[in-house]
Amino acid sequence: MKSNTFAVVLGLLGIVFIVAAILYLVGGILPTFTSSGSAGPHAKHAILCAVLAVASFVAANFARVRTV
Amino acid sequence: MGLLQGASELFPVSSLGHAVLVPSLLHWSFKQSDPSFVPFLVLLHIGTATALLVLYRDEWVQIVRGFFAAAFRGSMESDSERLAMLLLVGVIPAAVLGVFFENRIKALFASPYEAAAFLIVNGVLMLGFELFRRRAERGKTRQEQEERFASAERISFRAAAIVGACQALAFIPGISRSGVTIGGGLIAGLRHEEAARFSFLLATPTILGAGLVEVPELFKGGVPVLEYVAAAILAGLAAYASARFLLRYFRSGRLDPYGWYCIAAGLISLALLRFGA
Repeated sequence: MKSNTFAVVLGLLGIVFIVAAILYLVGGILPTFTSSGSAGPHAKHAILCAVLAVASFVAANFARVRTV
Repeated sequence: MGLLQGASELFPVSSLGHAVLVPSLLHWSFKQSDPSFVPFLVLLHIGTATALLVLYRDEWVQIVRGFFAAAFRGSMESDSERLAMLLLVGVIPAAVLGVFFENRIKALFASPYEAAAFLIVNGVLMLGFELFRRRAERGKTRQEQEERFASAERISFRAAAIVGACQALAFIPGISRSGVTIGGGLIAGLRHEEAARFSFLLATPTILGAGLVEVPELFKGGVPVLEYVAAAILAGLAAYASARFLLRYFRSGRLDPYGWYCIAAGLISLALLRFGA
């Protein structure tokens, strides 16, 4: 699906995931759905958010309409 | 335990199920509640993932290069670039489900009885996947039909996501990660050998990622690191041998024998657990 609007949405989603990854890393947010729910850094959640951010940016680049 | 985990991780017979069942049946002193159990499993998984990395070392170099080339270009021009993107799509569902639900699922189904019961379910699933494939192959020889099915690089992105999501089922002890992903690959239209290859490639970042994240656990006190490293090396050797065997086996073999094995092992385990080994 090629659309610049879609690409922008995916890019913004990537930024949201980066922010979430940083917050998880510094312990700024608690992980949802886990049994512990303890405060502090959550490496697994941070890495997952970083992977999702990369995937979002790659998808945004694929969705971008090229003029050339 | 190292040999058991390494071998059963790649065979479609559930390593987690065996890791719960075998110590219980043989009265080994392993307890999942023990603080050293998680670091132990972590190292075994790293051993297994390292074996897969060694086995597919040339392919992984191509996949990593392909990923960066396609990601920056914004299009895929080669098979390795497409495979890299399919693996990315395949890893995400398991990663999301794993991070958010793995502990809850494992805590729900951690008893040997449940592991044995789900081993039977795993066997039925394997037979079901093969039944589905046989219907698609009807009327022609196995050889003729296999030629019609695709290589890993040619499946759709939706199929890759479904195969990836199948991995999440393996958080239930007794359900095999390789079994459900190979089965998912068969349903997605892959040849048996290609389904096994895609399953092993998909397993590498998943197992390695899950293992590396837990590495800090190893540096906590009271963990016999040398013994654990020896077990991890054994797990790696067993995994390497298993992968080589399975890739050759699936050139002509099917999932049925593993399905029947799981059903038999599950029933025998239930009987032994109920009436005492």
